[in-house]
Amino acid sequence: MDLLTISIILVVTLFGFLLAGLWVGFSLMAVALVAMELIRPGLGGSVFATKVWGSLNVWDLTALPMFIWMGEILFRSRLSSDLFRGLAPFTRRLPGGLLHANILGCALFAAVSGSSAATTATVGRMSLPELKKRGYDPDMSIGTLAGAGTFGFLIPPSIILIVYGAATEQSIARLFLAGVLPGLMLAALFAGYVMIWALFNRDKLPAPDPAPSWADRWDAIKALGPTVALILAVIGSIYGGLASPTEAAVIGVVGALMIAGFTGGLDRVSAVASLQGAAITTCMIAFILAGASFLTVAMGYTGIPRLLAEWIGTQGYSQFALLAVLLLFFVVLGFFLDGISIVVLTTSVILPMVMTAGIDPIWFGIFLVLVVEMSQITPPVGFNLFVLQSITGRGIFEIARMALPFFLILVLATAILSVFPQIALWLPNTMMNR
Amino acid sequence: MRKVLDALYAVALAIACLAMVAIAVLVLVQILGRVLDRALIFAGATPLGFSIPSLSDFGGFLFVASATLALPATLRAGGHVRVSLLLNIGGPVVQRILGILVLMVALGLAGFATWHSGLQVLDSWRFNAVSFGMVQVPLWIPQGVMTLGFGLLLVAVADELVTALRGQVTSFQRAEDQRSAGGH
Repeated sequence: MDLLTISIILVVTLFGFLLAGLWVGFSLMAVALVAMELIRPGLGGSVFATKVWGSLNVWDLTALPMFIWMGEILFRSRLSSDLFRGLAPFTRRLPGGLLHANILGCALFAAVSGSSAATTATVGRMSLPELKKRGYDPDMSIGTLAGAGTFGFLIPPSIILIVYGAATEQSIARLFLAGVLPGLMLAALFAGYVMIWALFNRDKLPAPDPAPSWADRWDAIKALGPTVALILAVIGSIYGGLASPTEAAVIGVVGALMIAGFTGGLDRVSAVASLQGAAITTCMIAFILAGASFLTVAMGYTGIPRLLAEWIGTQGYSQFALLAVLLLFFVVLGFFLDGISIVVLTTSVILPMVMTAGIDPIWFGIFLVLVVEMSQITPPVGFNLFVLQSITGRGIFEIARMALPFFLILVLATAILSVFPQIALWLPNTMMNR
Repeated sequence: MRKVLDALYAVALAIACLAMVAIAVLVLVQILGRVLDRALIFAGATPLGFSIPSLSDFGGFLFVASATLALPATLRAGGHVRVSLLLNIGGPVVQRILGILVLMVALGLAGFATWHSGLQVLDSWRFNAVSFGMVQVPLWIPQGVMTLGFGLLLVAVADELVTALRGQVTSFQRAEDQRSAGGH
């Protein structure tokens, strides 16, 4: 059987199972098994066992449950209610006012949680009712939240980057640091858009509030200070080479427990719930990783990724042309796949091609995350849209329309990142080594 | 039967949680040991050189335990992601039929995973495979935990399949419906 036929069979199998509603991890396993049976019948089972064991028995992956747990603790603490209260005094005088609290709140929560859905839910639960009460334009309130909610993936600690690092054997610490500046750049782009929008749409905003008193500001600093300190401790200890990502994550868990303990809001029930929630999310990701590791090897046996890489090598496309095509491809995938699935499918099939084209794998990780962020707000399958649907009760497509400007800004950000790759690569290169 | 199975999944999840706590505690002890050493050097004393032997091996094993033992609970809690596009468009009859079909495929795959993971345990046991670190752990133990996790997943999938065939709503379906109805 020639490779084209095999490729078609595999693509049909994959999307058939995925669309039928088979769980992603199982779907990846199924395609891998079909590929193995077509190429090396009977070998699939032992390859599965060795690869799954090898892909999960990895020290670096211990950072995953720790960071998820840290986020789960803070998610259940009073931080979510303090976040809006703490940011409001500093943002309400800016053009666009409290809409910036959405963006900053998401950036801040993203820095303690690696998940976009959790970021959107946490910030949205508090900010949307407040914004509505004060008469902000609902389209813009929901749109900023949908867009900024995607920061969870880019700003470290990022679950997606741990998955990418584990699947491609790249340094998770370097990936984390590579995400910092692009994340801040994206926040600045979003805030800039809100300011420009505010200048042209004064009628859709309430009258500006008076300047906050110093007592207000002090209250706000007290509410947010511990969390900001925790963020700096976690990222700083990785940057300074003082701690591995796992160690930093454990410091994060201890810090989160202390913050939740002092400020109240974490009782025995929610402590157990945070642990169980973290175990379930970890398990979900590990299961996809396990399926993906089997798929990667099965694809290796078929030779398809190698052939794709050689083909790209002979075509002499520029990196930009390749990235533009990949961007389009990922956006289409993003219409119906979630972020982690896109990442693991990419690392199984496309990464050899990308490396052949001379693209830095750390940089590509950040590029991929930006694309995955887009997939979070594209209908009909976008997890941020689902979260916002459950908070606001609006339709998926309506929310996607509100988020469209921010989707376009994400596209712009990938373009900027392609022209200036140093935005991602500079910080990890200055990292201190132990 | 129902109670026995639910208890089984709950115990497995509890052990998965404990494995996570164990990772945190071990790493924390390691960090504190290092901080203590730095302080001792700073104070002019000799550092104790304290470190947990083979921490990276144990961390990996604990991660495997935590990830695989939570498999059945994650399935039932609707925690595993899937594309629900066709299911949502199709209406209740399509939803029911597709639900049974994917459960059957999942049953086969979970069986495949359990069987071959089990063969690997047998191999490791027969050839006395051990981990590379300072503390040589026989690999059949952590690999056995992984097999146990897949085995429990097999039980959980079969459980859900029986529920679906009886015409009742499966546990993961209920969880997914609750979430999309705004149970955040």
